[in-house]
Amino acid sequence: MATVVLRGMDLAQRYEGRGKSVVNALRGVSLELGEGATLGIVGESGCGKSTLARLLVGLERPSAGSAEMSGESTSSLDGRTRARRIQLVFQDPYSSLDPRQRVRAALREVLTFHHLHSGAEDQRIDELLDMVALGRRFANRYPHELSGGQAQRVAIARALAVEPTIVVLDEPTSALDVSVRAEIINLLIGIQARITISYIFISHDLSMVRHVSDTIAVMYLGRIVESGSYDQVLDAPLHPYTVALAQAVPVPDPTVVRPHRVTPVLTATGPTTRGCDYQDRCPLVEPHCRDVAPSLDDVGSNHRVACHVAKRRTTIE
Amino acid sequence: MTEILLSLRGLVVGLRHGHDVSPIVRGVNLDVAPGERVGVVGESGSGKTLTMLSVLRLLPSPPLEILDGEILFAGENLASASERRLREVRGAEIAMVYQDPMTSLNPLLHVGYQVAEALKAHGASTIQARETTRDALRQVGLSDPERVERSYPHELSGGMIQRVMIAMALAASPRLLIADEPTTALDVTIQQQILDLVLDIQTTTSMAVLWVTHDLGVVARLVDRVVVMYAGRVVEDAPTRELFRHPSHPYTAALLASLPGTQHSHRSLLHQIGGNPPDPTRLDGGCPFRPRCPFAIDQCAHEEPPLLPRGESRAACWREPDSWLP
Repeated sequence: MATVVLRGMDLAQRYEGRGKSVVNALRGVSLELGEGATLGIVGESGCGKSTLARLLVGLERPSAGSAEMSGESTSSLDGRTRARRIQLVFQDPYSSLDPRQRVRAALREVLTFHHLHSGAEDQRIDELLDMVALGRRFANRYPHELSGGQAQRVAIARALAVEPTIVVLDEPTSALDVSVRAEIINLLIGIQARITISYIFISHDLSMVRHVSDTIAVMYLGRIVESGSYDQVLDAPLHPYTVALAQAVPVPDPTVVRPHRVTPVLTATGPTTRGCDYQDRCPLVEPHCRDVAPSLDDVGSNHRVACHVAKRRTTIE
Repeated sequence: MTEILLSLRGLVVGLRHGHDVSPIVRGVNLDVAPGERVGVVGESGSGKTLTMLSVLRLLPSPPLEILDGEILFAGENLASASERRLREVRGAEIAMVYQDPMTSLNPLLHVGYQVAEALKAHGASTIQARETTRDALRQVGLSDPERVERSYPHELSGGMIQRVMIAMALAASPRLLIADEPTTALDVTIQQQILDLVLDIQTTTSMAVLWVTHDLGVVARLVDRVVVMYAGRVVEDAPTRELFRHPSHPYTAALLASLPGTQHSHRSLLHQIGGNPPDPTRLDGGCPFRPRCPFAIDQCAHEEPPLLPRGESRAACWREPDSWLP
């Protein structure tokens, strides 16, 4: 196992609204990211993927749990040090770039803030633009003069400017045209082949996640319900939710005959007070599931699943 | 000749700036038969949304206007129809669902009121409208329709609002549903539910569907025929199976090749098209895909190809697919 660069332990986030309304966006998530590796995170909207991203990069403090980066507790790191180690790239590149700032200024700002390459910023900016295959002529452009794909490259260059250990990519290709997605994915894969960098790739596009990730975690209502290597989780899913998710993805092949409606009505309900969170949507539900919430356990070769039925099928219970 | 429900004939949409008008939808021909599901695929800026908006004459004008062409719906030319006639058609005979659901509802009115209002506008009584609304909301998988009816749009999630919009569109039993990337912002599980719903409705009615998407997976699952647009024109029109098995235009082939699939080894580089789509206001007369096309020949620089028959498909490419397909 490669060195672990990021470890999250029982991370939880709870938002309190007016009155008694409380949203438990994240309920005890533990994860591990290896050096130079990619962890994919999938799940429906509201499952806590983006909350997790925000906690990891330090935009929010977890209400419980802790995280370590390269062995150091993140709570002991100040914002600037943390930003040097972990960066975030958002879904919409235009809203993450200042419309009044040219590309060069946007990149220079990062270098100046972190006192990097003082006196040689321009050279470094050129290098960064080369790294994301944009070319130096883009340095003088404003965000509105860039296509979606180009703007996303600038956002990636800005994240790389601090030479981070980890980049969290929150739906980095979802706002882009299909033809541009491949370019961004190739760019990310290419960068990882040249420098040591770890990615957390958050997306609802399962085929993209499968393509780029070493390991994958499936989230449901603020918890990880299944995790393992990409092929374990997506090619041989154990949790009925992962199965439903994988089957719901339309395959670009009209000859694939899909079993019509194998999953029940998929309206996400809130977390249940008792038993498994997935019990109301689950085709495999048993009386036991209504009483006891399943824990996330290893069923062999680091393939973890939180489902009583799946665990029994793989004969661990 | 089979019956045609919607037929676009040489549709040209122009963008006016000052005294200049540049065509950005440049002669689109498109037929939809009753009960047929047609997918429209293309990059942003390819003119697919403008074409769809033109059908109901909903283009923001100025600066956009229909410069030429016919929009024949059940034989009637909507391009020259009166505003009054268009109001009868919109929602009742042709319903449209847009990509961004949050901007489609009035934030100050209850959702139930807005769905019922649309039905009443087309002649339903208050009681009928209320019942139809509730059924329609249930049909799209909203588990608690009474609560949804009483909610304001901001109290619902994007996925729920989009389902409300689809419920609203389907409630009036239109003959044609135009859906512009309606599931793009939704989770795959909800998307599946909506695709199943549309397929279900089609088994009992002859509603035709024009589904704009950039998701080739949705195309494969939902539609019978695919129209691929590029730079304001249709560049390929093919039965779905044919399109995936034997794409006839290099652009279609490149789009298909760019998708990660089981044929790609893990973390291998994906096929990328390279270059950028052209600015439709600055075309030079040749094939607009030429600068990005690995198979371009001299003729492509001089003459823009029309849609040519290619087996069961039609494609706007001078070259026979056999001469460039691997």
